[in-house]
Amino acid sequence: MSLVLEVEDLAFGFTGQGEVLHGISFRLGEGESLGVLGANGSGKSTLLWCILGLLKSRGRVRMFGEPRRRRSLARVGVVFQNPEDQLFMPRLVEDVALPLVNRGVSRNEASARAMRALEEAGLAHAAQRPASQLSLGERKRAAIAAALATSPELLILDEPTAELDGRSSRRLREELTRLRVARLIATHDLSLVRAVCGRVLILNNGRILAQGPAEEILGDSALLEGAGLT
Amino acid sequence: MIRKLLPFVPIVAFAATLALMQWIAGMPVTRLWLHSILVAAAVMVLVRFLPWDRWLFRVRIGSVFYQASLFVLFVRHFALIFAVEARRALIAQRMASPSRYGAGWYGSLTHAVAAFFGRALLRTERFYASLVARGIGG
Repeated sequence: MSLVLEVEDLAFGFTGQGEVLHGISFRLGEGESLGVLGANGSGKSTLLWCILGLLKSRGRVRMFGEPRRRRSLARVGVVFQNPEDQLFMPRLVEDVALPLVNRGVSRNEASARAMRALEEAGLAHAAQRPASQLSLGERKRAAIAAALATSPELLILDEPTAELDGRSSRRLREELTRLRVARLIATHDLSLVRAVCGRVLILNNGRILAQGPAEEILGDSALLEGAGLT
Repeated sequence: MIRKLLPFVPIVAFAATLALMQWIAGMPVTRLWLHSILVAAAVMVLVRFLPWDRWLFRVRIGSVFYQASLFVLFVRHFALIFAVEARRALIAQRMASPSRYGAGWYGSLTHAVAAFFGRALLRTERFYASLVARGIGG
């Protein structure tokens, strides 16, 4: 199994605030799903931003067998916690098609692929509407559809089920379970990790508290309690 | 009619403050205030009434027009972010200090304005990050 993501000894600190992340190391293989679990403020989102190169960190990040470069990001799909911050076109179908057009895909093909992605996400009915008119659950699914339309080899999701109601959360969980692409999911939703992730990494105050198979980690209630997850 | 003119309130306030500061500083009050209003009005018309989103999908990728269309769409999105955050900050301020001009009203308004800038900055940062991560602009 080839590796899609290797993080080695990653550390990061905001100016004048000390270290936020310390010595983070892990690997993610093709088709694998890794859950980054942690309480609020444990450094999950910061870790994702560092991996994407949006924050300048120390340590090594390799994507697809080579040091992360800007072009590596073309093979990565990202869904941020607030979908309204990444959907800005007047019509949803254009939001999904834009990254494809930007990568040189013809407009007709981009539109067709965008429509297909929206159909798969159950959002074909909303294709001609702006994202602002959708519910939060629909916007999250739209953001995932936009990420998947580019056929990424790695999907990075930040708190995908945050603020979703039970039904939307369940639907999203099912969609994420069906995917075969490598997934890195930062969340504190234990049921999502249980359903989707084969491996788990627990962050606590910017350090790795534990990592290993999901069953093993999620079965350790003392560990979860210590990390502020239960 | 009054509702249609509401979007111009911030820029008129900005221009008035600009002119006031020039006057207080003993400088000649130039036409900078007028230019600010005219430029803002022109940009508003360009952003609101022209179909930039359609054009974006018709022009050559990477061309000046493509970049301009993207830029205008970003400006429009930023304007939306500012409007939403301003509304939230004002609602929070009203809840914190229900009696207008009463005790704590000015203090809470100052905090609301500060919070507005903080939150708007955070959201624009997130927006920028999402664009970079999606390979658009950056």
